[in-house]
Amino acid sequence: MVKVFLPNLGEGITKATVSYWYAEEGAAVVEGAELVEVSTDKATFNVPAPCSGTLMGIAAHEGDMIEVGAVLATIEEDTVSESGEQEAEEA
Amino acid sequence: MVPYAEALALQKQVAEDISRGVCGHTLLVCQHPAVITYSRKGGRRHILVSPEEIARRGIALCETDRGGDVTYHGPGQTVFYPVFDLREFGQDLHRYMRMLEEVVIVPLREHFGLNAIRRKGLRGVWVGPYKIAFIGIAVRKWVAYHGLSLNISVDREAFSLIKPCGLDVQVGSINDFFKDEVSSETICDMILEHLKEVFQFEVVQNQDICEKGLKW
Repeated sequence: MVKVFLPNLGEGITKATVSYWYAEEGAAVVEGAELVEVSTDKATFNVPAPCSGTLMGIAAHEGDMIEVGAVLATIEEDTVSESGEQEAEEA
Repeated sequence: MVPYAEALALQKQVAEDISRGVCGHTLLVCQHPAVITYSRKGGRRHILVSPEEIARRGIALCETDRGGDVTYHGPGQTVFYPVFDLREFGQDLHRYMRMLEEVVIVPLREHFGLNAIRRKGLRGVWVGPYKIAFIGIAVRKWVAYHGLSLNISVDREAFSLIKPCGLDVQVGSINDFFKDEVSSETICDMILEHLKEVFQFEVVQNQDICEKGLKW
């Protein structure tokens, strides 16, 4: 399981509000693609998926305010077979 | 005049090019045909009239992905869309928005003698009781897009259809303060000059983008 954290967004910014999830629990996500949008002040910030896999647990839902460093979600990472092709690992 | 959706699509394309390292910081400047835009977070709750009434007035309605709440763009307002890589400006969202405010405040004070100020705890720029510049950004892969809008001679009536930024604010334009109208070109040139100083840029004009009605 790979955890997705709310990153540091700048000096003095301690919290942000989850404003939009691009994927639902159970959906396949791709490394680098937008996963969740958070908002602070007049800015939105898109947090990308840190790895490819299946979005398992959303820990912060739209409207929730969370602290920098807190977990947004967990991703069940795809495993890479010896042939180099990606296979979804069974949960 | 560039339609809002077209300008947004171009910003996203440029932002993607910047994040892939095939394009440098880019500033798009234009005016939009009348449009009310609202954020995903704010929704339509601060739009004070029905979609039918907005359409009857010839104003478009558009959800957008920037921060903030609801706002209006239209003739007489110039929008500045800096598509900038914030990894080169400290990866700090609030600092970046303060820099955008600075880009407007200093020229208005130094060149036009207006007492342009920030309001504590709020984003944007005021002259007296009137808010004249509005800020809202989105960031993907640390590349920022959207930016700031500046009222030069805008239809104040259009702002009465919404609660701008979700606040009870009075909206004004730069030319409310002058007997002899100042052109948007003059104001933009001053602002672009100061933007170069704030962000320490060398500016190269891109003819391809200019031909679409946007510049720099």
